[in-house]
Amino acid sequence: MSHPQDWTLRQQAEALRRGELNARELLDVTIARIIERDALINSTPVIFEESSREALRQAPAGPLHGVPITVKDMFSLPWRAARNGTTIDLIPAGASGPYRNLRDSGVVVVGIANQHELGLGSTGTQSAYGPMKNPWSPQNCAGGSSGGSAAAVSARLVAGSLASDSAGSTRLPASYCGVVGLKLTYGAVPYDGYFGAATTFSAPGVITRDGGDARLLASALLQRPLPQQSGSGLRVGVIRDPFWSDADAQVAAAGEQALRSAGWHVIEVHLEHLELAGAAFLSRLMAEAGVPSNELLATLSPPTRSIVLAGMLAPARFIPRADRVRGAIRNSLAKALHTVDFLCWPTTPAPAPALDESSVNLPSGRVLTDMANVRHTLLSNLTGVPGISIPIGLHSSKLPMGLQLLAPWGGEARLLDAAEHLERATDREFVDLVPPLAR
Amino acid sequence: MSEFEEWASATYRQSHIDVDPEDYALIASIYTGIISQLNALDHIDLEKFPAVGMDLRHAPKSS
Repeated sequence: MSHPQDWTLRQQAEALRRGELNARELLDVTIARIIERDALINSTPVIFEESSREALRQAPAGPLHGVPITVKDMFSLPWRAARNGTTIDLIPAGASGPYRNLRDSGVVVVGIANQHELGLGSTGTQSAYGPMKNPWSPQNCAGGSSGGSAAAVSARLVAGSLASDSAGSTRLPASYCGVVGLKLTYGAVPYDGYFGAATTFSAPGVITRDGGDARLLASALLQRPLPQQSGSGLRVGVIRDPFWSDADAQVAAAGEQALRSAGWHVIEVHLEHLELAGAAFLSRLMAEAGVPSNELLATLSPPTRSIVLAGMLAPARFIPRADRVRGAIRNSLAKALHTVDFLCWPTTPAPAPALDESSVNLPSGRVLTDMANVRHTLLSNLTGVPGISIPIGLHSSKLPMGLQLLAPWGGEARLLDAAEHLERATDREFVDLVPPLAR
Repeated sequence: MSEFEEWASATYRQSHIDVDPEDYALIASIYTGIISQLNALDHIDLEKFPAVGMDLRHAPKSS
């Protein structure tokens, strides 16, 4: 019999429901696997051996009864404060809104998913617990900020993880680690006890190995069904410049091949004012970051500390203009999404860089990794729409590549329909790839 | 002390924030990057970008 963590979330839930798998045994073997495998990737630095057993005893009957998951360090739990990748308790212990929704479905939180410090990075290389490493190559980063969630799911430590996404933090590490990352529509779940409440960009997300698991976990998180429909024959909007034209050639080619495999109708789309999206995003992000305490600053790594301190100096006079641009971009996106079912481009323009490398090679030249990555993902955060990253195969470097889809507000089910359609069209070739660490 | 460091340190003092002098070089570099992006907002035509209310949970009402 194979290890239950090599199964999908759906298979675990179904086996538990049928009584073919014992929830206490599943929890025990999950903890054992995390202890056995995580030293190489540092995805799950805190394991709740006692709290998870207590949570299991109290877990309600639900679609995910007894299924273990990890939770990013941005959400408070009844027995643990949210630390946001630092050493400080930043939100007191308590049942955060997203946690409550998942708890009510019966999941058991087995550990904390490591993350980039304060969520301010797309590589996962800075954290109070040390850098997260990629299960496909531990010399490369796992991505961020939800790198621990993506690495743990990719390495088969757990089949699902609660992540979050303020500028791509669910989708980017999912792409780097070869798993599925779904960012919800802004404000779709209660935000109390969640760091994302402090910004107008953040939304919780789920990381799983395939679209079916993402549907199950996201449905529990949203506390509403996400009915399945056909994902064939959809109209996909493609914005060539810069998302396809300034991506690594293999990444762009894999994306094009995925679109051909899916058989979707590809329509070229121009999004008005897109060139101002970065400025609008940055202006508000810096304002919303607030003023840190000296206690927190003293614990941060120099790069994160400097970002926070530089942000404090950003002039507020740009904010009203940034908001006007944001409104205009939301309008042009809504208009585009009237003509197509979703927009699509590579999630990251290049595969995961080495842990000590701060830039990536693109057709436009050498670009800072964070700048390159966030350029590809911020539109979802600026406008509020949901987005998903789905695996589309391996680069010649043996690292995963991902394709991002954006749907209209509340369109999570459509994204999952598309993801599952692509899985079927490719005979699950990409979602069933297993990293060397997990073979 | 550079002009930037003088201005930045005065700003931090106002907020009772302690800053390690060694951090200023990186702060200045990041700040320069931020400002170079934000400057694009100074050049927008406000007629083309009306102020609108936003509910980020939903599509814009005008769409």
